[in-house]
Amino acid sequence: MSDGSVRSFYGWFTTLGLLVGVLVGLGYYRDEYRPWKDYQRRFIREEIRRATTPDQRVLAQNTAVQVRQILLPDLNRVDRCTTCHLAVEDPSYGGYPQPLAYHPLHDQHPFDKFGCTVCHRGQGRATTAADAHGAVAHWDEPMLPLKYIQASCGQCHDASDNPAAPELERGEQLFETTGCRGCHRLGGVGGNIGPELDRVGARRSPDWLRQHFLAPAAVTPGSGMPPQKFAEADIEAIVLFMLSQTGANLPGFYASMKVIPSASEGQRLFQQKGCIGCHSVGGQGGKVGPALDDVGLRRTPEWMMQHFRDPQTVSPGSVMPRFGFTEAEARALTDFLLRLRDQKLALSIPALMGPVDRGREIYRKYGCSGCHGPEGKGGVPNPNAKTAEQVPGLTYVADGYTKPELKKLILRGQREIVPLDPRRPAPPLYMPAWGSTIKDAEIDDLVAYLFSLKPKGEDLGF
Amino acid sequence: MSAPLPRRIWSWFAQTRVGRSVFRVGPPQSNLERSQAMVSSFLLHVQPAKVSRHALRASYSLGLGLISLYLFFILIVTGVLLMFYYVPSTLQAYDRMKDLQFVISAGLVVRNMHRWAAHLMVLFVMMHLCRVFYTGAYKQPREFNWVLGVGLFLMTLGLSFTGYLLPWDQLAFWAITVGTNIAGYAPVIGPKLKFLLLGGNEVGQEALTRFYALHVIVLPALAGLMVAVHLWRVRKDGGLSRPDLPEDSVQSLPLSQLPTNKSYGLMELARGTTPQVGRDPDDEIFSWPHLIFRELLLFMLVVAVVLFLAIFWNAPLEELANTVHPPNPAKAPWYFLGLQELVSYSAFWGGVVVPALLVTALVLLPYIDRKRQGVGRWFARERAVANTIFSVCLVTAIALTVIGTVFRGPNWSWVVPWQTPPAITEGH
Repeated sequence: MSDGSVRSFYGWFTTLGLLVGVLVGLGYYRDEYRPWKDYQRRFIREEIRRATTPDQRVLAQNTAVQVRQILLPDLNRVDRCTTCHLAVEDPSYGGYPQPLAYHPLHDQHPFDKFGCTVCHRGQGRATTAADAHGAVAHWDEPMLPLKYIQASCGQCHDASDNPAAPELERGEQLFETTGCRGCHRLGGVGGNIGPELDRVGARRSPDWLRQHFLAPAAVTPGSGMPPQKFAEADIEAIVLFMLSQTGANLPGFYASMKVIPSASEGQRLFQQKGCIGCHSVGGQGGKVGPALDDVGLRRTPEWMMQHFRDPQTVSPGSVMPRFGFTEAEARALTDFLLRLRDQKLALSIPALMGPVDRGREIYRKYGCSGCHGPEGKGGVPNPNAKTAEQVPGLTYVADGYTKPELKKLILRGQREIVPLDPRRPAPPLYMPAWGSTIKDAEIDDLVAYLFSLKPKGEDLGF
Repeated sequence: MSAPLPRRIWSWFAQTRVGRSVFRVGPPQSNLERSQAMVSSFLLHVQPAKVSRHALRASYSLGLGLISLYLFFILIVTGVLLMFYYVPSTLQAYDRMKDLQFVISAGLVVRNMHRWAAHLMVLFVMMHLCRVFYTGAYKQPREFNWVLGVGLFLMTLGLSFTGYLLPWDQLAFWAITVGTNIAGYAPVIGPKLKFLLLGGNEVGQEALTRFYALHVIVLPALAGLMVAVHLWRVRKDGGLSRPDLPEDSVQSLPLSQLPTNKSYGLMELARGTTPQVGRDPDDEIFSWPHLIFRELLLFMLVVAVVLFLAIFWNAPLEELANTVHPPNPAKAPWYFLGLQELVSYSAFWGGVVVPALLVTALVLLPYIDRKRQGVGRWFARERAVANTIFSVCLVTAIALTVIGTVFRGPNWSWVVPWQTPPAITEGH
């Protein structure tokens, strides 16, 4: 090989060397240039502009341009949102355009303990706007639109009795009164015609949920779910409630904050802990402890709180055990007892209601109305069912069945619905077997209620 | 004409006291020094001082083996960098991928380089295998080096496959699930083999731990060792394969008559085909600079290509692995998609018999096809039968892989990619 060709190596070395050099430079530039740095510089300029004392100015000038993150090991999250949203904790940035806007109302949920994504969703580890806001391929948790933000409250807090989340409470009420549970199971309670809803808020987008309520078959072909005739505001509320059902099981610290002390939380505890076994309300209940109807007049809230912590300290010799209530639980029970003073809450305590009233609650609780209509009036479409292509009403159920027959039907269900036309698809809705869900004590009350539906005057006198 | 600047700097450095202690030889000026440059350098001495012109012909080797080696180097370097951040835990691995992308300096580009170099290495090792076949280079005395090469090919697939799981995303999880299921189809040992590989019946933490250990220690060490032996055998088997010279052009000189003015020593004398002493000396050329410079240039080119890919295309990262929600279809890594396509016809035949037969045939090939004809030429007419059989297998494998990659949709049904598929709506 001639010397000339050896020399031509140098040309190739130069060319390829330059190429590698340019590529390394390009790679370095793309790695080094990150949009969040621009946001931070803008923030620092703004801080310098607003500085009123030399000290403040120096402080602002010395602010480092660096990734900022909130480490949340208990939640297994790292939220880097504050890398761009630098002023979330500074009220003087109220009304600033994003990303430098102030985030109001975080005193109850300090950022260093909660971060951002546990409520807002999105991708906390990301440091570009598109990735962080999460509406990108291969990320399941895009940011929750702000109008649905109350859904996030429902991950930890009961939907009812949260004054900060009225939409959530409305959504829950709609869910419970519309009869969704007749077909859908949520928290272990409900039918099995439709899918379980325990994680629906994590699986479905707001748009999907909206469309699904308006026209279920449009997004889920073959769905037998009747279109829901909600008003616009109601749709938003129930979508919001659905979005709150993420199945998130927040650990440790977050679980302990779950109870918002409230009278209805207190009522739930009152029932759950079996207080009625020793105490009475409205003349019903145990006689071991004192009646509680007027306890709010006799005792101060402080006394009650102390009593829940340790009964012996305020009532020496009391046989009431120490239940080990948390402060929040004691507060909730106290609120409930105070409310007994001026309200006839007794009526809503199942143990104190009559069987028909309890049955009505059970009819509501299991979502029977979803298919059989409110108060068993029927009218829900079930295409190709022999019963006028509708789910049958229950008003006259007392005429067709004996109580044991009706119980058996509810517990075992009726999987096969007689079709109007055997050539068409089978009717989508059927009667699920409730035997594994409805408790023994509830079935009698439910049947009593159903028998009571028959209009007066035609009463057979059971 | 004065020498180029880098050479002048090197010349100056090489004759300083420190430089002499490092290099032993400065920039070679004479043929003697050119030989010494090769022999006295640890990094270069694995290669001969002189090399046949034929071996330098790019149109013959296409540099495929060398490119594979360079990709292996890139993979080791980027792999070690990734190890500084990676944690083989199902709870952390995916988050680490996100951190590489979003906050670690050059994390994304290093991961991209590793990913693309890995895919390229599989591709180039395959192409290298094809080149060696089509030039008949596996024949005596290179039979065993071919066997080593087949082993390295399987090792490359193993490295790529074990690495596939590590990001712990949906792609990783389900590709490994599909891939290890194929292993499970083998009769008798299949289920045991799958269990051994995964440390359980399903892909989980145990599988991740095992794949990690295999990927970062076991397989690279084995592959590195085999690469060393493979290269050493290239040298010992007489350099790159080349056409046999006509009988009369070879004059064997007795040892005592070997020229004394040659710059290479006895270490050049090896059994059989080396060295080409006594052959036409004009057929040989000094490795420095003709081989070394070409190798270095090719290395720069490979680095440039991998960098280019890594800067402009990101390695895939799907959602966090979800053990109950398989994508439809769940696909193995691309180099196993031909196999997966075969498995869709018959798990036993496609997943076990065909691959086992293919590997056996590849290993035994040089001992079956023993005629020394058509060595050192592409598509030699004398090898028409062998080339035809190999080409049919190759085209079938490529066709199956393309079908598996492009034409298979949900439930492994036939789809045509350029037609819009009917909207898949999510059922309950």
